[in-house]
Amino acid sequence: MNAEKKRRITIMQVIPIVGIIMSAAFVYLGVYKYGFWDEFKGPKPGFFPTLIALLMLGSSVLALILSFKEKAPTWTLEHWILPLSVLALLGTTFIIGLLPSLALFVLLWLRVFEKCSWKTTLTVFAVIAFIVVGAFVLWLGVPFPKGIILTMLSN
Amino acid sequence: MNNFSMLMSGFAVLFTFQNIAATVFGAILGLLVGAMPGIGSLAGVALLLPLTFKFNPTTAIIMLGALYYANMYGGAFSSILIGIPGDGPAVMTMIDGFPMATKKGRPGQALLTSNLSSFIGGTIGMIILTFMGPLLAEFGLKFGPAEMTALLLVAMTSIGWLVGENPTKGIILTAFGILLASMGMDTLSGYPRYDFGSIYLLGGIPFVPFVIGVVGFSQVIRLMGERHHETKLIVDKLSIKSSMITLHDLRRLLPPAIRSGFLGTFVGVLPGAGATTAAFMGYAVQKSFKSEEPLGSGAIEGIAAPEAANNAAAAGAFAPLLALGIPGSGTGAVLLGGLMMWGLNPGPLLFTNSPEFAWGLIASLFLANLITLMISWGVIPFLVKILSVPTRLMIPVITVVCIVGSYSTSNSMYGVLIMFASGVLGYILSETGYNTAPAVLSFVLAPLLESNMRKAFIISQGSLKIFVEKPISLVFILILLITICFPLIRVALVKLGWMKKKGAV
Repeated sequence: MNAEKKRRITIMQVIPIVGIIMSAAFVYLGVYKYGFWDEFKGPKPGFFPTLIALLMLGSSVLALILSFKEKAPTWTLEHWILPLSVLALLGTTFIIGLLPSLALFVLLWLRVFEKCSWKTTLTVFAVIAFIVVGAFVLWLGVPFPKGIILTMLSN
Repeated sequence: MNNFSMLMSGFAVLFTFQNIAATVFGAILGLLVGAMPGIGSLAGVALLLPLTFKFNPTTAIIMLGALYYANMYGGAFSSILIGIPGDGPAVMTMIDGFPMATKKGRPGQALLTSNLSSFIGGTIGMIILTFMGPLLAEFGLKFGPAEMTALLLVAMTSIGWLVGENPTKGIILTAFGILLASMGMDTLSGYPRYDFGSIYLLGGIPFVPFVIGVVGFSQVIRLMGERHHETKLIVDKLSIKSSMITLHDLRRLLPPAIRSGFLGTFVGVLPGAGATTAAFMGYAVQKSFKSEEPLGSGAIEGIAAPEAANNAAAAGAFAPLLALGIPGSGTGAVLLGGLMMWGLNPGPLLFTNSPEFAWGLIASLFLANLITLMISWGVIPFLVKILSVPTRLMIPVITVVCIVGSYSTSNSMYGVLIMFASGVLGYILSETGYNTAPAVLSFVLAPLLESNMRKAFIISQGSLKIFVEKPISLVFILILLITICFPLIRVALVKLGWMKKKGAV
């Protein structure tokens, strides 16, 4: 049972395996698609990435061997709530636009997830609005995406 | 004398309303970012890169330089008042800073000692930078493609190989950063490569969203685990008057601060060493000198030595960055990336081709040092409030800045997607013992390394001899070999008991 547990693939092995796959792809494309060396012109576009990918390949194999001695970190759902929220925010951006999505994210995050009082929520919201609107919209003049709904309305 | 007059011309460049305002703004932001535990200078500089797009390159980099510099001051605040270092270098300040604030009941004096030592160390570092920068650039003029290749390999290897617990992981991430940077167009022929048929990847991975993700967004994800930690401040109120130090304190502070100022500058010049190593060495050296009280018990000398050293190192790191285009740390790499984004190419010709920029930046560091001292003194009464901002409130603020900042660089959601992907990846990597700083550094330096390496091979017609035939290149290759062998030497020295294990203080 213990030996079985030890052999389980964890994130400590997944990272070097991804490294091996990525570097192998770079070597293959570098040599066969972009070219490694030209007899007259010297190094071709695939030359440098291939060398580096070979280095990464060797290091990844070594890291994979050493990884079985390492302990994998444990993550709870709490660690992934933020990336998941940002992913949802990216989705809503295409519908209602980036700025309203950000506003919604901040309000929901503070009021629902963190259970902050309205006073704290609105204070933090005002700080964020000042940074985004003041610095990025008014000063830098960034044209943020409006989303399908606003684009349809404005048309 | 020539350097002095060039520095004066730098001050002439600096003294415009916009540049001074940028320095002040950068200093205030740097202090705030540094004071808040867990953000650090790397994330701070990366998050603020988009805000500088409106400025001209000189003003933009002056602001970032001031921010980076002030950050070194700010890191000590939380070390002293709550016993949590704001950044890496402040770890050593905590050893004496926190006991001085708690056991001796002198928090204000501990803060002022730290501020004054930072100022002294920084000033020494900048004076040395004024003279050493142009000398280094003059030396750099002798560099051809072979020498540059060897130097870049040393810089990348020393950070990838030596920083962090595991050299293999450092090398993987160095190579990963280079491979990411090689996606898009080939730098020499303009031939598209590794775009996998995507129109977005054809333009390559954008630098700013990548760096905001790897160091900024990943940091916020990490903060999720600490959002319930309550900040326990040791004082309710601080005032400038109650923070004044005595003449006797000043006499105790000066020798270690001056000594560490010189030491820290030279540590800062070395690639891979940086402010944290400088602070550690400053403290270690102080142990061999006489202190009025034992180190670790709240001694003034124990605060002065690491603080002066880390600020001096921050100044010293600008010498190889400006004169050779080689950053000594992750933050230096972000600054270098910023410079390149604005069309400036740091290297031996920078002092000749863009003297107003190079000297303007050096002059701005002097000004930032002075302004930060004044602001950090004036901010003492408000520190209690700044440090008591809960992490859980910081999380949405930083997240929004990450999203908006990465969008603004490309005016496209592609930037946000890159930030998101690199942030999640950066978080997973750092949690599994992979230090992401080498990836940032190699991402920035990869185009320079590739073009120099390929030119060297074209000159030598494919022979490796070019790297050992030229004396400068040979020296760098030898340093490279020593660097590669160092982890093995370190293991042997630790086993023999001649060296402490990494991470042990």
